[in-house]
Amino acid sequence: MPAVTAAPCTGCAECAGVCPTQAIALAQDGARTDVSLDRGLCVGCNLCVETCPTGTIATDRSTRTATRRREDLVLSNRAITPRPAAPSGGKPFRRSLAVREVSTGDSAADLEVIATTNAVFDVARLGVQFVASPRFADTLLVTGPVGRAMREPLLRCYDAMAEPRLVIAVGTSAITGGLYRGGYAEANGVTDLVPVSSFVPGDPPHPWSIIHGILLGMGRDGG
Amino acid sequence: MTLNLPTGSRYQQTETTPEAMAETVRSQLKKPGWRLGHLTARVLANGRLALEALLLDTATGSGVICSAALPDGVREYPSMTALVPAAHWMERAAGEMFGLRAVGHPRWKTLRLHAPVWVPDLAPLESGASGTPIPCEPYAFMKVKGEGIHEIPVGPIHAGIIEPGHFRFSCMGEIITNLEIRLGYQHRGLERRLAEAPLAQTRFLAESASTDTAAGNALAHAVAVEQMLGVTPPPRAEALRTIALEIERLANHIGDLGALAGDIGYNIGPTLFPPMRGAALALAQTLTGNRRQRWYIVPGGVARDIDDARRGEMIEGLNALHKQVRRHVPLILENPGVLDRMEGCGRLSSALAKDFGMVGPAGRASGGRYDARAAFPHGIYPAGAPVAARYTEGDVLARARVRADEIESSIAIIRALLDDLPVSPARVEIAGVLPPNAAGIGVVEAWRGELIHWITTDETGRIARYAIKDPSLNNWTGLAIAVRGNLIGDFPVCNKSFNLSYCGNDL
Repeated sequence: MPAVTAAPCTGCAECAGVCPTQAIALAQDGARTDVSLDRGLCVGCNLCVETCPTGTIATDRSTRTATRRREDLVLSNRAITPRPAAPSGGKPFRRSLAVREVSTGDSAADLEVIATTNAVFDVARLGVQFVASPRFADTLLVTGPVGRAMREPLLRCYDAMAEPRLVIAVGTSAITGGLYRGGYAEANGVTDLVPVSSFVPGDPPHPWSIIHGILLGMGRDGG
Repeated sequence: MTLNLPTGSRYQQTETTPEAMAETVRSQLKKPGWRLGHLTARVLANGRLALEALLLDTATGSGVICSAALPDGVREYPSMTALVPAAHWMERAAGEMFGLRAVGHPRWKTLRLHAPVWVPDLAPLESGASGTPIPCEPYAFMKVKGEGIHEIPVGPIHAGIIEPGHFRFSCMGEIITNLEIRLGYQHRGLERRLAEAPLAQTRFLAESASTDTAAGNALAHAVAVEQMLGVTPPPRAEALRTIALEIERLANHIGDLGALAGDIGYNIGPTLFPPMRGAALALAQTLTGNRRQRWYIVPGGVARDIDDARRGEMIEGLNALHKQVRRHVPLILENPGVLDRMEGCGRLSSALAKDFGMVGPAGRASGGRYDARAAFPHGIYPAGAPVAARYTEGDVLARARVRADEIESSIAIIRALLDDLPVSPARVEIAGVLPPNAAGIGVVEAWRGELIHWITTDETGRIARYAIKDPSLNNWTGLAIAVRGNLIGDFPVCNKSFNLSYCGNDL
């Protein structure tokens, strides 16, 4: 996915112009230009990387892209004081996790979630299993932008889960609605509907990134 | 309403009246090789609504847009479903999206925008049309009457990791007497968004119609846009696009075969097939930089070229995968225990498949001959189209066999193209504006079957209507009919043998 580097930005704003989801914001701070890129909106199309003349925005191939806080998805070239680490889900989930997936409109993300269970990615090795009912589940894993018609089923599923419980938003559309944001279908993601414990950006995210997000939710460091 | 279609275009327009539409369509479809591509509506510059049917000639890869303007303020027309069964979901979709009633439709109800989630007169695509939208009736499930009949509601959230949809079974004991499928849970307002977005961004939305078919959707979008601009992509781009399309087919068919075996409890499927699918996705990663081939196919060509090192990697990976395919596919398809469960299960007759206009592997497993690769220009097709895989039994086994045959033909196509890639640029620049009053139609054989992106511009060249016809729109009814008389316990394997798109239907 695109990342912001320390390379000085000339403020040409090409990147913000080509971004299909307005994920990039530029701000003038005296002689320097601050660039911020919100991965919660970024679909990873790479147009910004291709147009950036200075390398201020470049591709970062790491799959450790998940965060525990929404604001940590916003990458910037401003030297910022490190925030204190986000609180983790804590002990009850550290060694095992029962996950109920709810899909709402991003079939590729569903396929990548399924891929985490195969012999190559093998999320079961980490004590993670996908379960059939919210009654068995510690975690709600959401894919897709949650349009109006999926809101009630999703909330009913969440309400059926015992506490403590986690929510993992998998994919840019699950975080903010991504490309769908702001339409009449109100497909603006899950972030404003239920408290989210970890965010996995990408359209769709790589299976390793999804596993990274699950580990963060469990209260582990994810490498 | 009259479109400006260049002479020599593959698509021509005929104008008719709403009253004559059904008969016009039916008589055209009686000719051998013709099918109903799509049926929808659009708002004309004068505020009237026009009903439009896209009729395709699968023999010559051409088609006719049959347009009928409704009188000022009129929001109803005589339904054609009784004469043309393939139109039944299309009329319902046009009804709720435009507030337009198909009078006499045998099962008139919403398709996606069910109350109370959506207000009955929302009509999200009718902005600027004259007259008042006709509200849709509330959804009522079909009731099966009789002693001992019980209903089983399933969904929208299913037990597995699957897209949401509601299945209402009416059963006599363990036997399914009727299945009604109610979708729409993932309606995201895509078609309206596509008509609002700047042209440079429509491809991102087009791919999102069904993200598991990113290459297919991107290609249908590119073909439609290029057709309107009179652009021919360079030969290398055509080859690379075809490779992407066939990798998508290969990966999904491998995944489906494995999942089919899993659904009847044969563990070789879920054990050996996902890593093979992963090997196909690795080819996609090498080609496009992305496992799901997002953002790769663009109007004018492809987003990135391939060098010889990566090409060599792909050939090596493909050969290794082919060895595994030849070893593992027979474990499923030559196994008496598997055949026993798949044979005769979820049978769909050729006659019904033809009536519903079914497409893709499901259509070709019920005797259909239609493979859009053999007819409509996209990538290297129709010149390099394989012989369509075809079976007549119409059961789960036939649908599995079509996939197995297509896995082989896709590998052969990818290998031939990689061995002999044309030398040319991989992309040409395209104009940023579409011509006025034009139509562009991309017909692609995606892995689930015929996928259509149909763009119409207004008098200023802005997109007035962007219609998407996912292959599943034709096929969902086939699934509902195929499971009748089967055990409720066989539903998962029947469902997987179709493996239809929910979000491509819901848009």
